[in-house]
Amino acid sequence: MYDINRAESAVTQQDIKISARNVQVYYGDTHAIKDVNVEILDKTVTAFIGPSGCGKSTFLRCINRMNDSIDIARIEGQIRLDGQDIYDRKVDPVQLRARVGMVFQKPNPFPKSIYDNVAYGPKIHGLARNKAELDEIVEKSLRGSALWNEVKDRLLEPGTGLSGGQQQRLCIARAVATAPEVLLMDEPCSALDPIATGQVEELIEQLRSQFSVVIVTHSMQQAARVSQKTAFFHLGNLVEYGETDDIFTKPQDSRTESYISGRIG
Amino acid sequence: MTGFAFALLLTAALAGYMMNRQAAVTLRDGGQRLHSLGMFHGLYALLAVLVPAIIIVLLWLVLQSTVINRLVMAGLPDGVLDNLGSGAIQLIKAEIQSISQGRVFGDPEQWKMDAAERMNSLRAASGWLMLLVVAAVSAAALFVTRRSVRAEFRARQAVEGITMGLLISCSLVAIFVTVGIVLSLVFESIRFFQMVPITDFLFGTSWEPQIPIREDQVAAEGAFGWLPVILGTLVITFVAIVVAVPVGLMSAIYLNEFASKRFRAIAKPVLELLAGIPTVVYGFFAILTVAPAIRAWGASLGLPIAPNTALAAGSVMAVMLIPFISSFADDALSAVPRSLRDGSMALGATRAETVTKVLFPAAIPGIVGGVLLAVSRAIGETMIVVMAAGLIAKMTINPLDSVTTVTVQIVTLLIGDTSFDSPKTLAAFALGLMLFIVTLLINIVALRIVRKYRELYD
Amino acid sequence: MTDQTNDAPQASHGWASPEFQNRLSRRRRSEAILKGVGLGAILFAFLMLGILLWTLISGGTQAFRQTHITLDVPISAELVDAEDPSRGNYRNVMNEAMQVTFPDAEEGDLRALSGIVSNAAQFEVRDRIVADPSLIGQTITIKVPVSDPYDQLNKGNVDTESDETMRRLNDAAIGWFQQLQDEGRISKPINWALITNADSRFPELAGLKGAIIGSFYALLVCFLISFPLGIGAAIYLEEFAPKNRLSDVIEVNINNLAAVPSVVFGLLALAVFLGWFGMPRSAPLVGGMTLALMTMPTIIIATRAALKAVPPSIREAALGVGASKQQVVFGHVLPLAMPGILTGTIIGLAQALGETAPLLLIGMNAFVTAAPSTPLDAATALPTQIFIWADSPERGFVSRTSAAILVLLGFLVMMNALAIFLRNRFERRW
Repeated sequence: MYDINRAESAVTQQDIKISARNVQVYYGDTHAIKDVNVEILDKTVTAFIGPSGCGKSTFLRCINRMNDSIDIARIEGQIRLDGQDIYDRKVDPVQLRARVGMVFQKPNPFPKSIYDNVAYGPKIHGLARNKAELDEIVEKSLRGSALWNEVKDRLLEPGTGLSGGQQQRLCIARAVATAPEVLLMDEPCSALDPIATGQVEELIEQLRSQFSVVIVTHSMQQAARVSQKTAFFHLGNLVEYGETDDIFTKPQDSRTESYISGRIG
Repeated sequence: MTGFAFALLLTAALAGYMMNRQAAVTLRDGGQRLHSLGMFHGLYALLAVLVPAIIIVLLWLVLQSTVINRLVMAGLPDGVLDNLGSGAIQLIKAEIQSISQGRVFGDPEQWKMDAAERMNSLRAASGWLMLLVVAAVSAAALFVTRRSVRAEFRARQAVEGITMGLLISCSLVAIFVTVGIVLSLVFESIRFFQMVPITDFLFGTSWEPQIPIREDQVAAEGAFGWLPVILGTLVITFVAIVVAVPVGLMSAIYLNEFASKRFRAIAKPVLELLAGIPTVVYGFFAILTVAPAIRAWGASLGLPIAPNTALAAGSVMAVMLIPFISSFADDALSAVPRSLRDGSMALGATRAETVTKVLFPAAIPGIVGGVLLAVSRAIGETMIVVMAAGLIAKMTINPLDSVTTVTVQIVTLLIGDTSFDSPKTLAAFALGLMLFIVTLLINIVALRIVRKYRELYD
Repeated sequence: MTDQTNDAPQASHGWASPEFQNRLSRRRRSEAILKGVGLGAILFAFLMLGILLWTLISGGTQAFRQTHITLDVPISAELVDAEDPSRGNYRNVMNEAMQVTFPDAEEGDLRALSGIVSNAAQFEVRDRIVADPSLIGQTITIKVPVSDPYDQLNKGNVDTESDETMRRLNDAAIGWFQQLQDEGRISKPINWALITNADSRFPELAGLKGAIIGSFYALLVCFLISFPLGIGAAIYLEEFAPKNRLSDVIEVNINNLAAVPSVVFGLLALAVFLGWFGMPRSAPLVGGMTLALMTMPTIIIATRAALKAVPPSIREAALGVGASKQQVVFGHVLPLAMPGILTGTIIGLAQALGETAPLLLIGMNAFVTAAPSTPLDAATALPTQIFIWADSPERGFVSRTSAAILVLLGFLVMMNALAIFLRNRFERRW
């Protein structure tokens, strides 16, 4: 399907963070994800693109087991994080999700103060021994999400009072605060205006230096702008996976080409 | 006679329908273009007969007995009612009434027999008069509507206008009921406060509404301070809420977060069963099972527990409130957007942490609204306390003791024969007024909170 | 996973370290505790329901059977005059019957002996003689209820081992009853009197006929008033009401009315229906009117929900072919909403059936020994009858109260089952 050699050649330069093997997802009787194999690299932005309903979000939610809470969803195959199967019985999804953070389509700050939003993860995981450490984590995370300067004077105001773009960056800060190794982003800019989108995209570029980012997007321009690797999904299949430049300039599969040139989707 | 009246007006209405419809059809067959269908001309006549006539008959029936009673009592020979208290006059009225229905006990005085006869003849006259009035009104309506049948008459609009008027009056009934409640409570309470100063009622700490033995005693012997009564109400409400809120909340959390679909599908309706059981059944349960159990438990601990302790009434009331609170909390938790739950879970929170740290705080306004409504229910709940709580008002907050409540006092003061001029009876209305005000305030606040909360996440 | 060193805002953590593993298991434990407490809360509610039902069933089933005695009653012409059999001394007739049954009883015991048979026996004998005066001078056989203490004895509720002075039946009385049992005179048939008799001072004779008919009349009146009024109000508010202050006031009003304590409606009825209009006390008509005021908000709320559930496409389609707004509502929307409205109405009526407090205030707790024949006659209703019986000291009324509650719950279950059936059968999902 895609050039496996190309993917493997990349391994020599960078570590493989996540590797998926023969992943199948069923929703009741629907076969939503069909035999997906992919290797996601550390400290890289990987974009999942494809027409809506192609399964890219479903697959993303498999990586931190958010599909667990859906009764009818059933997952087969293996997804390994640093070599360990995350669907192994010994793996606690609670711990997994602390390592694999997630940012959602619509900003969903908790109805709490800005500070409490960011401190939520570190508090439940016990990452800070005292208030000073917690303050430090909150500040670092907000700085890391390029929000610190805008909110440092109103940390105790409710997070729901921020603008849409600020809310989404707050959610990123909230996810970053638990120090994840992978950050999953499910169309993080679809509810934002162009300026806020630009800020978030800039932020994604910075985050790459710290961990692996996987972003689902329906905007090919965004994928081209922010990602190094791109995977194209179509009807539950992973059609093509490779360097973003290659996918957009010389796609190997006719379906990818049709999508990029605007004929499917 | 009433039956005749209804038969008459139904016949008139149907006749009007047929007549006008026929007339309209004749016009159409005669080549005229009608604005409205014949059916509407018919319906117009039907409604024009029915609506005023039914209103007259109902008013007549409601007012007839009052008017007749007044006339009969006014027509009694001079002197027989002198120096009699209102209670005695009530008795005479009742006696005359039962004689007029043919139930004669002993040998009543001749003037009573005469009055009873007068009553019967007045009733007969009233019946005939009603029939006559209905006939006249129906005939007038028939005449007027028959003349209205013309090609350009907008019968459909006229019918719809009448219907709309009826619909509006239906919704106004709700307002009339509230106005009726307020008026009747306020009116009787004012009469009460003429006998007992309002300050005594509001700030008095002793409630002993004994029956005055002679007329001139009136309230001198009774004490009408409502504080111990409302205090007792609050003690029982407190017990009920303290038990019901944690149990209701916890079961809602379990149903919402942890229960499997199948368990939820069974558990929810079973919980609702508790809400469907009439309160008189709970009252019986309280006296038969719960109160003895609590006393036995107290005896084993060496605690002095009164036979009708506030604990028994309160805890049974709690059982009644559990499904109420649980379903409110369940709705409030379900109303929290899924995205918040996902956000918390994606940060690696357990379900328990998600519920207690994110969902529950977000749902608090809705839950508080529900709890307030439960408080108002507990304050207004009657049968459980009438059967299981005490009658003596005490200034105590000890739930092991026996206390009385506002509703208990209302019922005990009014059960049995009531005349509307003893302070004892009127005190019940003053208590009712306070109960109405307190629950209304709580309800308004609660409904406002709930509504605001719904808007928050809609 | 081991510690990583990178320039992340915070160093990545050692998720596998014992410290974190301990913390994780602690968090899992507190989750299990919350889950356990939640399950415990539900089970507590179930337990209460279970105890309640068990109390009622175990106490109430006894009352569905009644101990009867079969007696031979000689009708002597001395006690009953053939000319006017209705004025005979039937009390003595019964005494004679007991004398025949216990030939070796002493004169002094006779009074106690005649206490075995219910007070109803003499009237039953009288009715038979009045119907057929030729029986005078003969011996007839009757089967009548025994009085309450002996009924309790036969049902095993009397501890025969306990101190004689502490119970209502002494050892001699128990001996007589044993003798009757040995003679095969005692039976325990199904207690139809519970349904066919009206109230009585004597538990063995008390039945629910008056209460059931009273409740039926009250619900009928309640339905006739609240159903049309409720639907009318709901249609106006949902379909026609302009968005103005008046509509808002009505709306808030109805919501508040639904939460007014029921006893306040009783006060309203007492002051207005009885006090100002002079309507009769204890009448199911007044009870029904009171209940109607309380049921109306329920019906309005249910009807509005049902009307709301009819999709706008149906209205638009009908309006599109030139029907007037009213024709659309009455011709199309209302019929489609009817199942939902009926479901809500039945649930509202079921609530009204269990309502007690307002009925007490208008005197429907009267002691009435005849079933009402019109809604204007004095009567009780099922819940008020339960209240009266629960207040009565006789032992027999305890189990009769439970039985009456079971009858009431039976009616409630039937009504709710009907509502569920209607909903499942007719309600369409749009």
